[in-house]
Amino acid sequence: MSQEEKIKQELEDKFSYLSGKVNITRARRIFFSVDLQNLAEIIKFSKEELKFNHLLTISGLDEGENLSFVYHLAHDCGLILNIKVSAPKTNPVLKTVMPYFVSAEIYERELVDLFGAKVEGLPKGNRYPLTDDWPQGEFPLRKDWHPAKE
Amino acid sequence: MIKELLYILVFPGFLFVSIAGLLAEYVDRKLYARLQNRIGPPWFQPFADIIKLIAKEEVTPCQANPRMFHAAPLFALTAVITAFLYTPLWHTSSPFSFNGDIIMVLYLLTIPTLAFFIGGWYSTSLFARIGSVRAVTQLFAYEVPLFMSILASALLANSWSLVDIVLFYTRHPWYWCFNLIGFFVSLVALLGKLEKTPFDIPEAETEVVAGAFTEYSGKLLAFLRLCIDIEMVSGAALLAAVFFPFGFFQSAFLSFVVFILKILGIIALISLLRTVVARLRIDQMIDFCWKLLVPFALLQILINLVLKGVLR
Amino acid sequence: MHDSHKFNIPMGPQHPALKEPEGFSVALKGEKILGVEIRLGYNHRGIEKACEQNTYTQDLYLIERVCGICSHTHATCFVQAIEEIAGIQVPKRALYIRTLIAELERVHSHLLWLGVAGHEIGFDTLLMYSWRDREIVMDILAMLTGNRVNYGMNTIGGVRRDITPEQANDVLKAVSQLEERTKYYIDVATKETTIIKRLSGVGVVSYDDAVRLEAVGPTGRASGLDRDVRRDDPYAAYGELDFKVITDNHCDVFGRTIVRVKELMESYKIIRQTIANMPQGPIVVKVARKIPAGEAISRYEAPRGEDVHYVKANGSEMPERVKIRAPTLANIQVVKHMLKDRYLADMPIVIAAIDPCFSCTDRMVSIEYDSNKKNETISWATLHDYSIRWHRERGTDFTDLNKRFKAGLKV
Repeated sequence: MSQEEKIKQELEDKFSYLSGKVNITRARRIFFSVDLQNLAEIIKFSKEELKFNHLLTISGLDEGENLSFVYHLAHDCGLILNIKVSAPKTNPVLKTVMPYFVSAEIYERELVDLFGAKVEGLPKGNRYPLTDDWPQGEFPLRKDWHPAKE
Repeated sequence: MIKELLYILVFPGFLFVSIAGLLAEYVDRKLYARLQNRIGPPWFQPFADIIKLIAKEEVTPCQANPRMFHAAPLFALTAVITAFLYTPLWHTSSPFSFNGDIIMVLYLLTIPTLAFFIGGWYSTSLFARIGSVRAVTQLFAYEVPLFMSILASALLANSWSLVDIVLFYTRHPWYWCFNLIGFFVSLVALLGKLEKTPFDIPEAETEVVAGAFTEYSGKLLAFLRLCIDIEMVSGAALLAAVFFPFGFFQSAFLSFVVFILKILGIIALISLLRTVVARLRIDQMIDFCWKLLVPFALLQILINLVLKGVLR
Repeated sequence: MHDSHKFNIPMGPQHPALKEPEGFSVALKGEKILGVEIRLGYNHRGIEKACEQNTYTQDLYLIERVCGICSHTHATCFVQAIEEIAGIQVPKRALYIRTLIAELERVHSHLLWLGVAGHEIGFDTLLMYSWRDREIVMDILAMLTGNRVNYGMNTIGGVRRDITPEQANDVLKAVSQLEERTKYYIDVATKETTIIKRLSGVGVVSYDDAVRLEAVGPTGRASGLDRDVRRDDPYAAYGELDFKVITDNHCDVFGRTIVRVKELMESYKIIRQTIANMPQGPIVVKVARKIPAGEAISRYEAPRGEDVHYVKANGSEMPERVKIRAPTLANIQVVKHMLKDRYLADMPIVIAAIDPCFSCTDRMVSIEYDSNKKNETISWATLHDYSIRWHRERGTDFTDLNKRFKAGLKV
């Protein structure tokens, strides 16, 4: 059994709701989506048991009604686990993954600024990457935001 | 009276020493550039820089103490020019010589650093303050070995007067060879005084922008630049007079040329040293001065004391 | 100044130690750093948003301009993601050419870093020497691609320029020249006393901390973290090449210097292999303008560390979303850790030691107009018009020149 399939097997064994949802798109790439409330336990399991010890980044996506967030976790052997969660655009609340990945801080700040996600548990600090006088409620990477014409 | 004024203002005073300082800066910059595989500036670059700076607007920070801010550069400039007047140039005599002038020259050469500190401190900028504190911290480290090694040479000559020291070594040719350790110690200490790499800590641009000079502009910056250039010549002249007291001939012109060559040689050594090393940290600098330079300076004093007994 | 005196000094957004605008607010006690607050984002240029409004081919050139130093990095990483989504089989020769340019880019980036590091510790001679030698590789890149930076080599489905045997010969000649120089730098960096004094024991990140803070690139490898995307997740032609991943156990800036200069030697090895093994054949395949819906994540070992691009396609000519994670962003936490309880004098070199590239990190600019309108992102066309207007107001008019140029092209 290849490494990807082993990981897939372990994930499906541990979390029954994942069965049949884990896709291996190509060598070393695993994609799947989960519900928001299950994210923390999967990330904990991936980090502690499966040894995915590197958070590459968190990508935000605007999918109309929902905002989606893809957590890209990397393994030392080159595998990437892409975990997608969705939250309603009206109230996109996430829990921080900083307890597992320290580097998540800056990626989560980016989501806050550019997508208007609300991240619970994020420590106070400078915003990133927008300016301090950026107007409230303007989230540039949402699809309904357009740069104003001159 | 007129003769004295000419001495102070034209030769070897203000005018001469300013031109000498700027030319020395050119030599230093050109050598530094050539050693780094660059082309380097044309000969008139330092003059052009100074003229440009004098023509530029002068900005005084509104929080700075204007009197101290303006006085510091002038104070520093005056001190280094005065220091030069006491060095024997083309003759084994100097117009204002008196017994103890070597101590005075050393103190006059300390004044610029203190002036930089005052100017930097009173400009109230953070970078200037850090830079000026560093300048004074560094002062305590290099000044001691510098004094000890220069005075070691005076000890052998049994005089506190520069002219007498030169006369002594002219009477006893080759005695200067005993002072070579002292020369190298004071050369390194001089690098600290001139704030050149590896001791350019007070004005390390990547850390504290321009250190004490951060807030200076226009004429005042021109004075400070001129002051450092003249300090380089004065320092080199002092070293040349104390450690290489030979080559004084009947012809004043010839002795003068030899003396200029000695100064140029010392400046070349300074350029070479600052090409081949990286900047130290302030704690490493102080360690270096106290643990390495001071023992060597003490060794020099010991040698000279022993020699004094043996040679008498 | 008493020791009890605590004060904050601003390093940046404009500061001689930083080559790009970025704010570090340093709390100092005497010469000791108590803490650092980092403010990023001064270089945000809206590239991710702009990507969603342009076609894939346009995006490719836009993304190449994310960063001047690692332009090939971003372009390749992006193009790999698209090719994965569209299921394109890129010709072997194109992959080898990409690898060759990538390694040449690494050489020029590392030589640049060496010079910058020298400058940060006040050793300008090293800066002058290494940048002089960097010209050799810059010339080679200009010869191969037509540009010193922003090479424009990649296109979706391959590369745009082939490499002739004569060019390959010139590359080999330049590489031997560079190899000799690099040996000299290894000698200087490991033996010169003042360099060692300033670099060793500075910016220490232990192996455990490197793992915890997820250090990437030479920063991580200098702490013994054996990670290199070129080997772990091979892309382009790296899977077929033989090279070593350089690691070091000094865990400080000195170790990072050693890793980088040794990586230069590995790069020369890789360049020689790509030229020796370069297969014959086409350099590009034709690709439809529309990319099928799908998503892909692509990684690339940039000179500074791991670069990540995530692309989501929706079946149209334009991407749905492009996400760029530059290596510097991943190392920000590491910098914070490294600066704690160090001396102010170490700060420039510690920051420089991760080889930061803040342009890569931030990707959007907001231009504030004089009127009270909210912040706006400027479109390319507006910017173009604005620049023409700006020059015309100052008496330079390119209209005639442009006309003549176009007429000349037609003839």
